[in-house]
This record gives sequence, C-alpha cells and structure tokens, in this order.
Amino acid sequence: MDAVWKDSSREGLIFGVVIIFFILIGLTVTLSDIVGNTLDLNSDSMIGNTRGLMVTYSILGLWIGIRGANTAERTWSTSLLSSTAAGLTTAVLVGVSVFVVGILDAADVEMRNYLVQLSRPSVQLLIFTKDPVSGSFLTAGIFIISSALGGLLSMATESQRNSQQWQAVFLDRFSNLSLKRVKETFHSSPRLRWVGYGLFLAISLLIPQFLSKYWNYAMGTVGIYVLMGLGLNIVVGLAGLLGLGYVAFFAIGAYTVGLLTAPAPISLQIGFWPALIASVVLAALTGILLGLPVLRMRGDYLAIVTLGFGEIIRVLIRSDLMSPYLGGPQGIRDIAGPTIFGVSFSSEKAYLYLIVIGILLAIFFTNHLQNSRVGRAWMAIREDETVAQAMGINTLYYKLLAFATGAAFAGVGGALFAARNQYTGPADHTLMVSINVLCLLIVGGMGSIPGVIVGAFVLKGFPEILRELELYRLLTFGGLLVVMMVLRPEGLWPAPRRRLELSAEDSSTPVLEDEASG
Amino acid sequence: MTLLETRNLTKRFGGLSAVNQVSIQVPKGSIYSIIGPNGAGKTTLFNCITGFYPPDEGDMLFKGQTLLGYAPDRVTRQGISRTYQNIRLFPAMTALENILVGAHPRLKTNWVDAILHTPRQRVEEKKAIQEAAELLNFVGLKGKGDLLARNLPYGEQRQLEMARALANSPDLILLDEPTAGMNPNESANMMRFIRDLRKDMGITILLIEHDMKVVMGISEYIYVLDFGELIAEGPPDEIQKDPLVIESYLGRSEK
Repeated sequence: MDAVWKDSSREGLIFGVVIIFFILIGLTVTLSDIVGNTLDLNSDSMIGNTRGLMVTYSILGLWIGIRGANTAERTWSTSLLSSTAAGLTTAVLVGVSVFVVGILDAADVEMRNYLVQLSRPSVQLLIFTKDPVSGSFLTAGIFIISSALGGLLSMATESQRNSQQWQAVFLDRFSNLSLKRVKETFHSSPRLRWVGYGLFLAISLLIPQFLSKYWNYAMGTVGIYVLMGLGLNIVVGLAGLLGLGYVAFFAIGAYTVGLLTAPAPISLQIGFWPALIASVVLAALTGILLGLPVLRMRGDYLAIVTLGFGEIIRVLIRSDLMSPYLGGPQGIRDIAGPTIFGVSFSSEKAYLYLIVIGILLAIFFTNHLQNSRVGRAWMAIREDETVAQAMGINTLYYKLLAFATGAAFAGVGGALFAARNQYTGPADHTLMVSINVLCLLIVGGMGSIPGVIVGAFVLKGFPEILRELELYRLLTFGGLLVVMMVLRPEGLWPAPRRRLELSAEDSSTPVLEDEASG
Repeated sequence: MTLLETRNLTKRFGGLSAVNQVSIQVPKGSIYSIIGPNGAGKTTLFNCITGFYPPDEGDMLFKGQTLLGYAPDRVTRQGISRTYQNIRLFPAMTALENILVGAHPRLKTNWVDAILHTPRQRVEEKKAIQEAAELLNFVGLKGKGDLLARNLPYGEQRQLEMARALANSPDLILLDEPTAGMNPNESANMMRFIRDLRKDMGITILLIEHDMKVVMGISEYIYVLDFGELIAEGPPDEIQKDPLVIESYLGRSEK
C-alpha cells in the first residue's frame, strides 16, 4: 500500500510542478481564455476567463485522478484513495503557490518586475477575483474533487470493460492508431507515401481558404522555414556538411529580389519572376563560390567558417560602405510582389499558395535527388569522406552540388520572404535564422522530409499558437533541444534509415527506401 | 603484360622512409602478394598507389600510364579498387547501397537526370540495382541487401567490402589483409573466393597478408618488405627458404 501512495503522489507532484510552471509563464491565462471562449463562459476577471480556468483545472484534475488511479491495485476504494492522493498533492502545491502569489499581490508587491506574466489582473484570475485564502482553497478544492472523480471514472470504465488489463488494452488499441504505425506504413510503401504527400498537398491547398489573414501569414512563415529546412537538410542531413551560415543565402535571395524590383536604392524594377530566378541562381552561385575554398575543411572548422560567412553578409549589408547600394540599416522598401498575366496577387493567402508550391517543388527535387546516384554519393561523403573518394566519387564536386542546392532553396525562401513583406533589412538576416533552421532539422529528424515539415511546425508554428511563450522562445528552444537529445535523438519523424538503425535489434525485416520503384 | 608497375617508389614521413625505392611489377591476371612485418610499409605502398599519399620519388604505372598526381577518385576510375585493413564500410547505409556507391564510377546519372527521373536514369538505376544484387549473391550475402552495413556480423562486413570493391568492375583489386580476424575455416573460404575472382572475373589481385598459410597457398609471386625496403621477391617456395625473409620475421640468430 505504501508504494501505491508513493506512486500516486509522484503523479500528483509532476502535475503540480508543471501547472505551477504554467502559472508562472502565464499559460493559465491563455488556456482559460481558450476554454472559456470555446464553451462561451462569462468571466469575472479583466484578462483570462475565471470559469474557463475552473474548467481547465477540472479537466487537469480528472486527468490526474485517472493517472493516479492507474498506479493502484484496482478496487473501488483503492482507486478512489490513490487518485485523491494524487489530486491532493497537486492541490497542495498549486493551492500554496496561488496563496503565496495572492498574498504578495495583496501586499502590493509588483511581481511583474521578476515574472513578466504575473501582472495584477492575471493574479486576480488565479484567485478567481476573490481573496487569496478562498481563492487558493477553491483551486485546491477543484483539484481534489475532480481527481477523486477521475479515479472513480477510470474504475467505472474498467468495471464496464471487465478487464484488469484496461490500460494495456487501451494503450494497445491506441498505439495501433498511433503516429508510429502510420509512419511505418508510410515509409514501407512508396505508393502510400505519394498518397501521404497528396493528402498533405490537398490539406495545404484547402487550409488557406479557412484561415484568417494573420494565420495565413503565420503559416507562410512556417512554410518559408520548411523550404529552408529542406535545403539545409540536403547540406547537413544528406551530405553531412555542418553549415551554420545558412542565413547568408537567405539574405542573398531576399536582397536580390529587393534590389531588382524595388524603386530604391537601385531602380531596376524588373518584376518579381525574373528577380526570383536571378535570386536562385545568385544564391546557388554564391554557394559554389563560398564552397570552393571552404569545403576543403571538415566538421567543426566548416561550421565556424560558414558561421563567419553568415555574419559577414549581415555586417556588409549594415555597413556604410554598402549602404548606397544595399539600403543600409533601413533596408529596402516597396519590393514588388508577383503578378500573373498582369494580375497582382499579394494577399497573404496568395503568398501561402506560392510558398506551398515552392515546398512541393523542393520536396520533389529532394526526393528524387536522395534516391539516386547523387544522393548515395552525398550519403557516402557523410559516412566516410575518405572512403567515398576512394570509391571514385569526386567529393569536391558533390559537396559543391549539395551546397549549391541548399543555397538555391534558401534563395527561394529569401525571395518569397522579402516579396511577401515588401521589405527586407539586416534585422531579417540574423544568426538566429541559421540556428532556427538547424534546430528544426534536429527536432524534426535529420535527413527526413516529413521531419523537416514537423520540425518547422513545432519550432515556428507553436510559438505562433502559444504567443505567451514568445518571451521564453530561447528558453523553450534550449529546453526542447535538451529534451529531444535525451528522449528522441533521432528527431520527431526520423528518416527511415534512422529507423532501420534503431529497429535493427528486433529481427523484423527492415525495408529499403524505394530505390527499386524508381 | 604488366598491369601495375612501381618504379623506385619512395614515400617519406619526416625522416622516416615508409616506402623506400620499391619497384614491383604485377602482370595482368595474376595473384601477387606483399608480405612483411608490422610497420614494413605495405599499407603505405597501397596508399601511394591509390592516390591517398603522393609519393616523394619514383613513378607508378597502371596499364602503362602514370598514376602520379591522380586524386583517389581518379585512380579508382582508372580501374583500381581496394579494401581496407580495418573494414571501412558506410555504416548507416544498407548493404545494397554500399555496393551501389561502389558502382558510382560506372554510372552516368547526373543531378539533372536524377531530378527529372529521365528514362536514361531509370534504366541505369534498375540495371545497377540488379547488378548490385547479383554481387551480393556472389559474395554470399543473398537477401541481406536491406540490412544496414553496421548491423552485419564481422565476416559478412568483409564480404560486403569485397563486393563494394568489385562493383566498380575493376581490372586490379588491392586487398589489405582480407583474412584478418578470421578463423582457419573462414580463411580457407576467403582463399577460394579470391581464386574465383580471378577465374570468373579475370581480375588481377594484389594482396597484403599476414597469414602465411594464405599467402603461400594462393600467391604466384611474393614481394617482401621490411622497413620500407624490398628485401626479397620470388615465388612462394623460394621466399620460404630465403634467409633474409626468415631473418626479418624471426630475427637474426646470435652467433
């Protein structure tokens, strides 16, 4: 029985700590708003939604109860007791925190100085616009009651199913439907993969119709990062060249379109489409020119040199020397958007479509390249450059090719980015861009096309959804990377190759990429 | 007809002459061996021939043309393949892909073909995969094409490395200790395999080997290196009796 109590209270402890973290970063406000708006609840507080918060707490409490009950020996009374124990732990933790926050607020301590999200209105929300004591008791009460209910609920479902293995059965069913299974079938059959891509295409073509202007813009940003991720994926994921100056090619794409289409500083105004082609060619050429001297270096040295190159481009753009030609720190304004048959389409929606088309092309290119002689040469270089050369592969040529392809993708990304914003300036081209793209590769899974898409959504999409986390962006990045390295070093949606490596332990016959289907 | 020839080849590392004035001649269709104690310069000689180290003096001729100044990839494209003393496969690629990389110089697909999936590329790719599968069978790895190279057992990794070297359809193959770490049974299989290579594929073989049983069993001619210098050469039965060779292996007897 002792162990049961321990397990349950540990569940409660984890939930408690996470909820306190949410409170401190102001996520409770967002959540209560979302729940409140969905259920159309009235609110007593200035920000957030008090009743929404109560519902949120109740849902969390039910969850705690179910989790807590599942660790217990299964009878009605132990279920109830252990889930209440879990709930009680959370209740005490959260209740005390709310009480402390409430008291401090009542004592006129300005907590905002330390925790930006703890404004006075948000504290009012936390104590349900009551006094600290009743607020914290109410909070604790909700957790205790809902967790007890959760315990009973889980027991009830179990009795109904009449199975001791309720959780196991559930998990088994669930994992049948899980992403993992979907991914396995997805990878094992090339035809199904095309169905997958077709589905993705259909969704990406439909979704913009239903999104607001803001969301179309946000998704466009995600899309541009997908595009760049696909490019860097070739350089880092396939050819194994660790480049940290990827933003340079993005900047070259953006500035080429800017300079060629904007009225100032150089009045060429040749229109978007020729400028787009020019930006791709120029980015690829720069990739080759940079690559020629630099690609003789390997590993860390290459990373440092490319990092430097990215900074050089940014500093050059900012410099007084180049400002008559590049617009200096003010950047370039009034960049022209694309027109088709004289019709200009510059809405967020139109750009999103344009970006999706760019992504599809990039996926098409990447897919064909990686399953060919070229892709194999890249992988061989990544695995063992010396031996790759001894196999008759002209390593410099293939490394340059990888660099140029990656740079061209970034050039497209930069061109679309600049045209969409009708502006580009040095602030758009910081080191953070390179780091973001590299991070999304790591999070999504190196060398994996779906991984790039997932990674871009996680890294650029989530911060849009949870704007409250904006302030903690870098913190979240760091945390996410550490967690990923520990829990899923291969990324969220790893390449089938990595899956092969990991599933090699069990003797199930792994499947090769669809080389044969060519 | 001489396929490979070195003339007074010398490679120095600082003050040390790893290979010193070595001249060898390997006729087409033969099995030749290079033996010598550890550090005698055998692998360095291989590294010079395959373009990894530029020699300091001398010349190397393959099919009568010099290999001097050729980068490793260019040497391979002339028709020379090699294996490594410590197996060096592409660990995270499948067995089949490893062989396909080996076939790289024979294939013509460039990046434009690859992106557009031209008919030429499809035909070539299909044929290449078929040939790679045949090579897998030839080295006894049938049905293991989809396994990652790193997951194969040691012996099979050696066989895969051999298949990869063959994928280039080489005229000459340099084997660096092909039976290292093998038991007598496996060694015997390897010897049979090497003989088959010449018989079935007409490939000339130059090998480095420590196992005297293997060397004496399959070589037609043996070069003996010691401290970078060629101290003896001849057919196996002569080498076995050569006092200099015995001395370099067993040490000088104190009188």
